[in-house]
Amino acid sequence: MSNSIISLKNVTMKFGGVTALNDVTFDVKQGEILGLIGPNGAGKTTVFNVITGVYQITSGAIDFDGKSLSGTKRYKITKRGIARTFQNIRLWGDMTALENVVTATDTHKKSGLLSGLFGMPISRKEEKRDKARAQELLDFIGIGEYADRLARNLPYGVQRRLEIARALGTNPKLVLLDEPAAGFNPSEKVELAATIRKIRDAGYTVLLIEHDMSLVMKVSDRVVVLDFGQKIADDVPNKVQNDPRVIEAYLGVPEDAS
Amino acid sequence: MINLRDKGADIWERSNRIERTFIALGFIALAASLPFFGGTFLNTPIADYESVLVYPIAMFVLMAIGLNIVIGKSGLLDLGYVAFFAIGAYTMGLLGTRTSLNTWEILPIGIAMAMFSGVILGVPALKLRGDYLAIITLGFGEIVRIVALNLGTLGRSEGILNIPTPPSVFGVEYSFDSHRIYYWTLLILILFAIWMVRRLSVRRAGRAWESIRQDEDAAELMGVPTFKYKVWAFVLGASVGGAAGVFYASKTLFIAPDNFTLQISILILACVVFGGMGNIWGVILGAVILGYLPDRIRFLSDARLLVFGLVLVIMMNLRPDGLLPRKKREKPLPKQVQ
Amino acid sequence: MFGNFLDQFWSLTFGGLSLGFIYILIALGYTMVYGVLRMINFANSEVFMVGTFATIIIIRDVFKFTQTSEYATGPRLWLILGTALIASMLVSGILSVLIELVAYRRLRRMNSGILAPLISAIGVSMVLAESMRIMTDSRPVASPRAMEKSFIGKFFDADIRLDNTIIIVAAIILLAILMAFVNKTRLGKAIRAVSMNGNAAKLMGINIDGVVSITFLVGGLMTGAAGFFYVLKYENSSFSIGFELGIAAFTAAILGGIGNIKGAFYGGLVLGLLETYASFFLGTQWKAVTVFVILVLVLYTRPNGLFGEAMTQSRA
Repeated sequence: MSNSIISLKNVTMKFGGVTALNDVTFDVKQGEILGLIGPNGAGKTTVFNVITGVYQITSGAIDFDGKSLSGTKRYKITKRGIARTFQNIRLWGDMTALENVVTATDTHKKSGLLSGLFGMPISRKEEKRDKARAQELLDFIGIGEYADRLARNLPYGVQRRLEIARALGTNPKLVLLDEPAAGFNPSEKVELAATIRKIRDAGYTVLLIEHDMSLVMKVSDRVVVLDFGQKIADDVPNKVQNDPRVIEAYLGVPEDAS
Repeated sequence: MINLRDKGADIWERSNRIERTFIALGFIALAASLPFFGGTFLNTPIADYESVLVYPIAMFVLMAIGLNIVIGKSGLLDLGYVAFFAIGAYTMGLLGTRTSLNTWEILPIGIAMAMFSGVILGVPALKLRGDYLAIITLGFGEIVRIVALNLGTLGRSEGILNIPTPPSVFGVEYSFDSHRIYYWTLLILILFAIWMVRRLSVRRAGRAWESIRQDEDAAELMGVPTFKYKVWAFVLGASVGGAAGVFYASKTLFIAPDNFTLQISILILACVVFGGMGNIWGVILGAVILGYLPDRIRFLSDARLLVFGLVLVIMMNLRPDGLLPRKKREKPLPKQVQ
Repeated sequence: MFGNFLDQFWSLTFGGLSLGFIYILIALGYTMVYGVLRMINFANSEVFMVGTFATIIIIRDVFKFTQTSEYATGPRLWLILGTALIASMLVSGILSVLIELVAYRRLRRMNSGILAPLISAIGVSMVLAESMRIMTDSRPVASPRAMEKSFIGKFFDADIRLDNTIIIVAAIILLAILMAFVNKTRLGKAIRAVSMNGNAAKLMGINIDGVVSITFLVGGLMTGAAGFFYVLKYENSSFSIGFELGIAAFTAAILGGIGNIKGAFYGGLVLGLLETYASFFLGTQWKAVTVFVILVLVLYTRPNGLFGEAMTQSRA
């Protein structure tokens, strides 16, 4: 597994008496799209939260790029190359779309507050470079024309895409997408699937949480299934689809019809 | 009122560099000429008009700009802002009377002292949630006052007397009754503070503060070193308060703990809230109006704090964005999208 | 110094306990509101201040006591004390409800975050304190003494003062009534339900606005009682008293774990005693500093207080 970018080993996460993740082990390989699915409450978003440092895991280990993530501050995890989107959109509403992405690009700026204050050449150069980069990203995601609009005034679908552009702004190696298609209509979903592949083709690795089974099965190279905090399957899409344990886990829980 | 803000921004954005320079110079000239309107309708019946321009008006404006970095830009409620003002003033008082340093030499020391206290207070306090931060800073403000009230070196309730005026610069003399000279000097300090805030606002620091104010958790997860930038906001706010304090001491020549009560913190907060949190022009307007009116309208001068309290309640409930709100407008969409 | 302390230990302890009970009652005004709304009811300090003046007005203007009056005794004394207590409680309780209506309710509806209600509350505090300052000419107001502060017994070497005893006994009765109200009555249970989970309570059909008003009322009643006890003990008040005691009571609430009634109880007692002992050694001028130092220490070392919820930032 030399080419895995992140690996979770025996990760357990307990909240008081509740075990949200129980001995979960899987890894994401460089350049793949890994789908992470499971019924509601299976612990999918918890996986994102332990990777990005929102929660400290109770036991186990998470290695990213060959080095442990434990004890790393949240913003430093981002700096090391992991970025995420949020299930419930959390943009900075009073900023424009472009500013949202530029703020994310600031992660890798060498210039800080003082060089900005005194107008040092490096600050000017980086400002210019990252504004261009942010616009590129908006164009890449297909929302370039909304650059100067306030995030909170954007249509819902654009906000969802802006979340992805913002995550890419941090120049991540691994992108965590938390239900990026929530609330999308079928044609938007098709478009999104193309975008996710485009992201992968641009060299990013993608870990995707999604409720829409057909979308996940279509875009993912591999799928990990969680149920009650435990991993019950980890394979290519068509094998996972026919796995009896997965079918059982979903039985009675109809696929998200939206 | 929203239109006033948008119209201003509109004119500004449509102007080229030369026009902008003229607009800015025009406003500076207008502000600088205020001392000459003493005999007109602007005159203040209670206190001397020119001294009102210095304190409270210009002093409030300066401190409001500083506090705005903390509360308006970063959304951190600091109720002990007066502490930095006091630290600046006492630095001036002590060094001015005990050493041969003059005001201009003490100014950077006072600013440094205020910034240092900003770090001391900020590093532990900024780890707490917003409302606890408010209480801790309020406590800090009171502690500074109580220490001044009880330490012999700081003159206890008598305070410090005979603080020297600034030495003359380029032949301009500072005597204690030449209010307009102080006013113009303060104007320069204010312009410097505006420059600093505006410069930072459009760069990394400004974005970091904005993101922290709007959603701190999201900011941190997007790689913003939130704690560092919160401390910076605190420290920069403190530096402006400290500068105001040094200059205040060197103007009034006499300081006592009674000059540095919680009420000052609340007054400055009212200026910021009234004008419009986060918008520097709004904050300046708020400070000018709230600094000026109580001296213009006799009835208000006794009930100054009462009125300021009402301003806080009414503004928060009816117009939480203040007179001139922060940026809300945006450029129109290009045709093909609409 | 230390020998003196031991000599005076029990009398200091009694003084500290009665002060502690005053803190407990004010702390309830913070802690109950915090429990329901997760918001610091900053203006509660001025609810207390108004309560102290209500007591003074009853004693001075209704029962016409002056500094030279003879002390009341027997049933008349209890009538006076009872009237003053109830009047202070009602005035403070109603004021507290009004403050919520004027300063907080609209902001709560707008879902405005934590900054706006706090600023609004600071404004209300300012208005109340300043109105009182203007009405009292910035001077402290003395309350005529209505009862003889006789010693009613001895405990070790310490005299037990009547006023301290009344405060402790009456406060315990009030707290018992409060506990019964919160634990046994429908309304009390509704308050607890909202404290535990506001959204769930709403779904269960609990009228949140009603519960909030009741919470402010009860918090105000308790704070008003503290106003009465304060005047009984110290026989004066001033427009700035709210600020001084408010911060201490808030600290007591934090100390015990804000949002938690039991926490207010232990926090108030601990702070009342600590403050009294510390003043003995350091002098009263450092009292406020002591309180703040305790507050800061608690926030860093035991952010949950003794019983309450975490106060560091909630995360994503």
